[in-house]
Amino acid sequence: MNWQEHLPALLLAVPLFGAFIAPLTVLGGKGLRNAWFLFVSLVFTVVAFLLWARVGAAGPIIYVMGGQGWNFALPSGMSIPVRILMEVDAFSAFMVLLSAVAAFAGALFSINYMERFSGVEKFVSLYFLMIAGMFGMEITGDFFNFFVFLEISSVASFGLVAFWRDRGEALEAAFKYMLVSTLGAMMVLVAVAFLYSRYNVVNMAALGKVIEWGMVEKTALVLFLTALAMKCGAVPMHMWMPDAYAEAPAGVTCALIAVSQASLYGLFRVCFTIYGTFMGSPIIPWVIIVLGVLSMFIGVSMAVIQKEVGRLIAYHSVSQVGYMLLGFGVGLLALGDARAMADYGFTALKGGVFHIVNYTMYKGLLFLAAGALYYATGSRNLNDMGGLGRQLPKTMVLFMIAAAAIAGLPPFNGFVSKLLIYESSFAVHPILAVFAMVTSVLTLASFVKIFQTAFLGPELKKFKAVREVPGSMLAGMTVLAVAILVLSLFPTWSLNHLVEPAAKALVDQASYIGAVFATAATGGGL
Amino acid sequence: MIGNFPYLVVGILFVMGFVGLVFEKNLMKIAIAMSVVEAATNLFIITLGYRSGGSIPVWTMAGGGSSRMVLPTPQALTLTAIVIGLATTALMLSFVMMIYRHYGSLDVRDVRRLRG
Amino acid sequence: MWDKVLTGFGYWDVYSWLAFFLIAGGMIFFLRSFGRKDYKQGTDQDEIFFGSNPVPEDGEDLKVPASSAYWGYTQALKPFYEGLVGLHTGIATDYAGWYILVTALVALLILV
Repeated sequence: MNWQEHLPALLLAVPLFGAFIAPLTVLGGKGLRNAWFLFVSLVFTVVAFLLWARVGAAGPIIYVMGGQGWNFALPSGMSIPVRILMEVDAFSAFMVLLSAVAAFAGALFSINYMERFSGVEKFVSLYFLMIAGMFGMEITGDFFNFFVFLEISSVASFGLVAFWRDRGEALEAAFKYMLVSTLGAMMVLVAVAFLYSRYNVVNMAALGKVIEWGMVEKTALVLFLTALAMKCGAVPMHMWMPDAYAEAPAGVTCALIAVSQASLYGLFRVCFTIYGTFMGSPIIPWVIIVLGVLSMFIGVSMAVIQKEVGRLIAYHSVSQVGYMLLGFGVGLLALGDARAMADYGFTALKGGVFHIVNYTMYKGLLFLAAGALYYATGSRNLNDMGGLGRQLPKTMVLFMIAAAAIAGLPPFNGFVSKLLIYESSFAVHPILAVFAMVTSVLTLASFVKIFQTAFLGPELKKFKAVREVPGSMLAGMTVLAVAILVLSLFPTWSLNHLVEPAAKALVDQASYIGAVFATAATGGGL
Repeated sequence: MIGNFPYLVVGILFVMGFVGLVFEKNLMKIAIAMSVVEAATNLFIITLGYRSGGSIPVWTMAGGGSSRMVLPTPQALTLTAIVIGLATTALMLSFVMMIYRHYGSLDVRDVRRLRG
Repeated sequence: MWDKVLTGFGYWDVYSWLAFFLIAGGMIFFLRSFGRKDYKQGTDQDEIFFGSNPVPEDGEDLKVPASSAYWGYTQALKPFYEGLVGLHTGIATDYAGWYILVTALVALLILV
C-alpha cells in the first residue's frame, strides 16, 4: 500500500497534531478532552505497531523529509545525504513499539488520575509533545535532529514534572532535572558540532561510513556517552531521577521511563552503529560496564532505605538501567572479536535488549500502582499506609505481577533477561555476575517491603472508606500487565521475533548505512 | 595561531560557565551560568563554519561563488540552538521565581526538601 | 572462557515453572485444609496472638511501620549507608558537579 511508506512521518505527525489541538478541546468540556486523549493515543499505538510490522518484513526503511520523494536520499550529483531523514531499522522499531505501549498505558491511566485537577488540556498537550519528541529521538537518522527531539521531549517533561505547582517539591524536582538535563543536551550539541567539523555531515549513516578514530572523535564519544548516560540515570549522575520520577504525576512517570529509554537507544546507536568496531581500545566498553555495575549497586542500596513509594521505585529505575548498561557494555566489549561475539557477546546484547522492554513494562506498571496508592490514600509515605489489600485487591494483584517481574522471579520475563545478562557477564569476569545477583536479592527485599507495608498487615480505621481505583486507571495498569504476561508466557516467541531482530540490527552496521546509500543506484524518486 | 583565538574564547567561556554552575549559591546566578554555557556552545558552532576570506553565506550576494562563502549549515544549527536556549532559560527563570514563592529563599542549599 | 554459556532446557522453560507453581499451590491448599472449622467467631479464639497482651482495637497501633523494616541490615552497614546518604545531598549544583566530574574522568581515561 502506498500510504504505508509514510508511516515514519505519520508517527511524528499524529502526536504533534494531538498536542496542538488539545488546548482547543477545553471548549467541549471534560468529555471531549478525555476522548481526544484516548483517540490520539490509540492512533499512535496502531501506527507504531504497523511500523514495527513493516520493518520486520521489509528491513530498514528510510524516509526523507521535504525531498522530492520519500526515499530520495541522495539528490543528483551529491554523494552525501543532505536532507533530514528518518531511518527505522529493527532496533528503532522495537523501541518505538515499546514506547508506544508505555505511552498508551500512561495516557489511559491519566484520564481518571487527573480528573480532580484543572488545566488538564495543557497536560494533554505537553504529554503529546513529549511523546512526539520521544518518537523522533527513536526514528531519526540525523544527529542534529536527534538533539532537537531530545530537547523537545526534555522541555515538555520539565513542564510535566512541575505540573502540580502548588507543591514546592515538584518545582524543586523540575528545577534540578532541568539543570542537569540542559547541561547534558548542550554537551550533546558540542559533540555533534565536533563530528560535523571533521566530516561535514550530521547524517548518522553517512558518519558511520566515513568515521575514523582520532582525538576529536574520542572527545565526541565521551561527551555523547556521559550526556546520554546521565539522561538514563547512570550513577553518579542519577540524583535527579528519584526527585523527578516521584514528584511527577504517575501517568507522566510511565511515559518518562520510555523517554529515558529513548536516550539509552541514542547512546547505543552512537556506540554500535556509528563507531562500531573502530573503537580500538576496550576503555569505553569497560567504562560502560563500570557505570552499569555502580548504578546497579548504589541504586538498589539507596532504594532499600527509602520511606516514600515513588522514590523507592525510582531508585530501582537507576539500578535496572545499570543492568542494561552492563549487558550492552559486555556486548560492546565483544564486538570486534567474532568468537567472543558468538560465545557471550550476542547473548549479552539480547539480554540487554530484552531487559529494555521488560523494564519499561514492569517499571511503568509499578509507577502506575504507586500512583493508584497515592490516589486512594492521599499519601506517598509508606509509614502511613497499611492493610490496603482489603480495599484495593485488583491493584494488589497488578502490583504483585510487576514486583515479581522486577525481582526476577521465574517464570516472569525479568528472570529471562536477567539470566541472559548473568551468564554473559560471568564469561567476562565472575564478579560482575556476583554484583548483578546481589542486586537482584536486594531488589526483591525492597519490593517485599513495599508489598508488606502497603497491602498486607492489619486493617487501619482511617482507610475504611477507601474504594478501588476507577476504571481507566485499572485499564492502564492492565495494558502493561498483559504485556508482561505475554512476554513471560511466550519467551521464545519474544526472543525470536522481538529481541533477536533488534539485537542483530544493532550489530549490523552495514545494512544501516546501506539503507541510505543504496538509493543512489535507483536514483530515488517515488 | 591567531585563527584559533575564537576557540580559546569558547574554552574560557565554558570553564566560566561550569565554575559558575557548580560553585554558585544563588539560583539566579546558576541560571545565568547556564546561559553562559549555551552562549559558549553557540559560539563554538558558529566559529566552526568560518572559512578565511569568505563572505556571507547568501548565494546571490556572495560575489565569487560558493568557494568564497562561509558555511551556511552551522549558522542554521546555531539559530536552532539559540531558540532552544531561549526557551530553556525562560522556563528555568520561571521555575526559580516559583521556587522563591514556595521556599522563601534563593539559596540552593535551602532548596533541599528532596534529599537522601 | 566457557564453551557453551547458555543453560540448557529446563531452567527457563516457562511451562516447567508454571507446573512447579501449580503443584506447590496444590500442596499449600492441601495443608491448609487440615485447619479446624469449629472455632467461635468474634471471641478470643479469633484474635491474633499478641504476646498475651490485649490486642489493640485500631490496626494503627499494631502494624510495623516501613521505617523499621530491615533494621538489622541497616544497622550492620551503618558506615556504608551514612557515607552513601551523605553523598546524596539534594543540592542542585552538586548534581551538575557530579556530571562534570564524570565527563572529565572519562575524557581523561580515553584521551590520555
